[in-house]
Amino acid sequence: MLSGATIPPSSFYCGRRRHHAHSNSNSNSNSNSIRLFPSPSPSPSPAAATRKLKLYCPPVPSFWDSIRSGFKKDNPTQVIDMPPPTLSEEEEEPPLLPREVVLLQNSLPDGTIEQIIFSSGADVDVYELQTLCDKVGWPRRPLSKVAAALKNSYLVATLHSLKKSPDSEGDGRKELIGMARATSDHAFNATIWDVLVDPNYQGQGLGKALVEQLIRALLQRDIGNITLFADGQVVDFYRNLGFQPDPEGIKGMFWYPRY
Amino acid sequence: MAIPLFTSTNPSHVNLLHLTHLFRSANFSCHRFPNINTHGDVEAVDPHKLRVALDHSSVLVSVFCKPPKSSERSASLRTLGDLFREALPVTQSNGRLVGFGRAVSDNGLTASIHDVVVLPSLQRQGIGSMIVKRIVRMLIGRGIYDVSALCSCEERLFFEACGFGNDMLGSTTMIYTRGASQSNLSDKGNQNGVVKGAGRMLLLVPPPVVVVEGERP
Repeated sequence: MLSGATIPPSSFYCGRRRHHAHSNSNSNSNSNSIRLFPSPSPSPSPAAATRKLKLYCPPVPSFWDSIRSGFKKDNPTQVIDMPPPTLSEEEEEPPLLPREVVLLQNSLPDGTIEQIIFSSGADVDVYELQTLCDKVGWPRRPLSKVAAALKNSYLVATLHSLKKSPDSEGDGRKELIGMARATSDHAFNATIWDVLVDPNYQGQGLGKALVEQLIRALLQRDIGNITLFADGQVVDFYRNLGFQPDPEGIKGMFWYPRY
Repeated sequence: MAIPLFTSTNPSHVNLLHLTHLFRSANFSCHRFPNINTHGDVEAVDPHKLRVALDHSSVLVSVFCKPPKSSERSASLRTLGDLFREALPVTQSNGRLVGFGRAVSDNGLTASIHDVVVLPSLQRQGIGSMIVKRIVRMLIGRGIYDVSALCSCEERLFFEACGFGNDMLGSTTMIYTRGASQSNLSDKGNQNGVVKGAGRMLLLVPPPVVVVEGERP
């Protein structure tokens, strides 16, 4: 567990505003993952269940089933005099993000087939994520906090590289090469954090894909205030994606710990 | 302060109807870029969306004060019931909602503060500051030290007084503002140009992810 008593508040855990850091570090060969990419769990986390949160549960059945089922909404029961929610008469709402989609497929010189897979809503192995953060040169953060942050994020989108030899029969080697997440109150505001792509895979539009899909999912749920805090070297990256710095003078301020 | 106040962080003390009335009294919108009519009034908040937002906020702070005594009644007409009621402390059930604030968090690393509102007639008396400090205290108690707040120019002084400042890491705050007009000419792939409204903003929805196959050059 964390030795919280000895850590002064000012060394709070950065990485919140490290977006898509460009790194010159050499790539490591695929580190031994502690566990394989797990199958997704459709139920809300236990912590959330005790707090009356309606965490988004990505539909686990097939993509087409999830289109048909749509996204359930509970009627507010404490409301006085408020009209009941009405379903829109348009088609059923599509799922927020595709569960798993192959973005790219390449044949490597040695005959290995590599797929770049975009996915959402699945568990992220915090050890894999830490390895990835190390590659881009981000400071480490306590794993328990990272795990909690991922579990309670509204959206978590990941990129994996899946390498298969054409002659071998196994599932191949899967490696986390990118991630982005968003927190939200599910209605008005969302903040995008921790956008990162393995330096070996940068420059191919993967970071753009991650962020654009988060924006798409948020806007489809009418969450219109989408914010992020960008390091200086990535401001242009986000500008190209449609973000504006300090629009109409709106800035982010941060709490300063006082002793 | 002279006014008896009751501050609660209990989510069940939040009454949706009273909260929408407070927002209207303060001419406050949950949208960052709200529609404003010719009288300068912001659009009313959608109560369904507000309910959802409250349900997914990690911290909710409500401030109540006693409703003002009726000054028209002379002392001789006050009943025993009136005297009894005046002696009771303020609670969420007998008080009036005069201040509110909430925070959204991932309950691990980060949090952001939203919708800090105080009744205009009671502003500039430290109630808003008390709300923000209470929110921060709740978050710190859970080990979250990375607390942000989006501020307009007017709100910046208020948050500075609450102990907030510019980002120590020097990051740039950015908000998604792309509308349909900016990109539909250049992006042939997104001819539909689906937009979503957020207050007075019309935001362009990026196209769905496309499966592409190809050889690495």
